[in-house]
Amino acid sequence: MRQQTEQVRTFGENDSLPVVTKTITQEKINRYADASGDHNLLHLDPAFAATTQFGGTIAHGMLGLAYVSEMMTTAFGEAWLKGGRLKIRFRGAARPGDTVTASGRVVRVEAGETKCEVECRNQTGDVLVSGDAEVAIR
Amino acid sequence: MTVSLADLPKGHEFAETRFKLTPEWVAEYVRAVEDKAIVSLPERSYPPLALAACSFRALLEHASLPEGAIHVGQAINFSLSGDRESELVARARIASRGERQGWVLMGIDLNVASDTGKEIMSGRATITFPLNGEVAG
Repeated sequence: MRQQTEQVRTFGENDSLPVVTKTITQEKINRYADASGDHNLLHLDPAFAATTQFGGTIAHGMLGLAYVSEMMTTAFGEAWLKGGRLKIRFRGAARPGDTVTASGRVVRVEAGETKCEVECRNQTGDVLVSGDAEVAIR
Repeated sequence: MTVSLADLPKGHEFAETRFKLTPEWVAEYVRAVEDKAIVSLPERSYPPLALAACSFRALLEHASLPEGAIHVGQAINFSLSGDRESELVARARIASRGERQGWVLMGIDLNVASDTGKEIMSGRATITFPLNGEVAG
């Protein structure tokens, strides 16, 4: 049974979005692979991944993007689900042991649309995901 | 045996795929991404990226990812109704394909509609993978 305790505040320009922080583990990567059906060896096989430019397994980009989506759901509630847009680039890889933080800032509010800059960084500040998110507030 | 995405040309259209977001699969996805926000919304709500993941999973029934493939970009628009029980229809096509310095850059357009024809998600995934299946070192 869900709690249904949605409390969504109103965000204005330059407001920061509530950050979401997660720690990446190989177990979590494996779990995402099973859910998504993406069993690319780069994510799952340390021996294979060691032969690539990454030198080891990396998390699926969509796992990091899910943290951005969680941040947007926290900020905007059902509005995010009913009318959202994301346009991002994956700029770096999250590895097992990394702490990934999704953050964002409102850059424009107009005509029922709230546009945000969003990103994910690891614990050393490297950008893993960056881009824009828009949500229709009706 | 499925064909590899590496073997498909620009303009290739994948066979239409029908699927459902079952409560069990949504729960598995939410556990995998540890989404703590979605559980505060009405019970039938699901993360929009669950839809993207499920439709991508459906796509992978038609074509496998080449070894060493990397997801480099994602654009996605969604307008969820909250009715995760209805049958969904996914359509995908290879919108772009280019080769440079031993790597292929491929854009795949993916659209998902309800069984009534209402589009609930559209987007483009951009992936890159080594040309000729060679692992990047």
